[in-house]
Amino acid sequence: MPKKVLLVDDSTTTLMMEEMILKQRTAYECVTAKDGLDAISRAVVEAPDLVLMDVVMPRMNGFEACKRMRLEGSLRDTPIILVTTRGEEEYVEAGFQSGCNDYITKPIDSFELVTLLHSYLGE
Amino acid sequence: MSNIPDSPAELESQGAIQDIGSQAKVYAARIRLQNAIDQADALDAIREIAANLIGTEEVAVFKVDKKRSELWLYWSFGVDPNKHSVLEVSRESKLKQVLGGKPVYRLRLSNENLLSTDDPVSALVPILVDGSACAVIVLFRLFPHKPGIEPVDREICEVLSNCAGRAIEPYHSR
Repeated sequence: MPKKVLLVDDSTTTLMMEEMILKQRTAYECVTAKDGLDAISRAVVEAPDLVLMDVVMPRMNGFEACKRMRLEGSLRDTPIILVTTRGEEEYVEAGFQSGCNDYITKPIDSFELVTLLHSYLGE
Repeated sequence: MSNIPDSPAELESQGAIQDIGSQAKVYAARIRLQNAIDQADALDAIREIAANLIGTEEVAVFKVDKKRSELWLYWSFGVDPNKHSVLEVSRESKLKQVLGGKPVYRLRLSNENLLSTDDPVSALVPILVDGSACAVIVLFRLFPHKPGIEPVDREICEVLSNCAGRAIEPYHSR
C-alpha cells in the first residue's frame, strides 16, 4: 500500500505544485486540506503517514494545528513537516515547540522536498 | 541534512527532480492565473505566486497611464503604498524596457537597483494585454534565504506577464 501524505496549505497554487512533484517523483498518495482545522479532521480520517503543512493559514495556523494533532492519539507519532517563509532561528524554534519534526522553507525546492520525505517514508 | 549528490546517478536524479519542480511551479502559476474567477482573485493569485513560487512577500502592480509617461500604483502587498504611488517613466530607464514588453531582472551580484527607490527591486514584469504592456508587476525584496532570481523564476514571470491581464480589468488607462 502506498504511503499517504497530507498536504496542507490555503494556497491552491502551492497544493497544485506539491502534488505534481510528489505524484511524478514518488509513489506516495496525496490528500489535501486547506487550513489547520481542516487538516486535523482530514488527518483523523485519513491517518496519513506524514503531514506537510504551511504555517500561515486562515482559521488555524500550522503551529496550532501541529499542537492539536499531537493531542490526538492516532497522530502523536506522525511526522509533521512545517513549510515556512522564514528560516530564522526563533521561528524555527517555535515550530519545534509546537511538535513538528522538521521544516522546509518557501519557495519549495523540489529536490529538498523529495529528499526530506524519502528520509521519513523511504522511497 | 545534506542535499549534495555523491555520484553521477544521484546528480542525474537531482537534475530530473529539479526539472519536475520547475515544471510544476510554472504549471501551477499558469493554472492559478487562468482559473482566477475575478479581478480580486487574480490579484490574490499574483500575491500567491510571488510568495510561494518565487519567494517575495513584497509586490505591487502599477497601471500605465494613457500617455505612457507615468505608472500609478494600483495594488500592493507588503510594501508602503505611500512610498510608491507614482513611477515616472522618464526617470526610470528600466521601465522603458519593460513597457516594450520584456521583463527586467536584477542580476544576482549587481548592486544596481531597477528603480530609483530605497527598496530593492528584484524584477519588473509587464502585464501584457493584446500584446501591449498595460501594467507592471514590481517584485521587491526576496526572502533572506533566497539568493536571487533564478531561471525558473524567469519562466514564472513570463507566465505572469502573459496570464495576469484579469488582475487589471478593465484595461482602460487613466
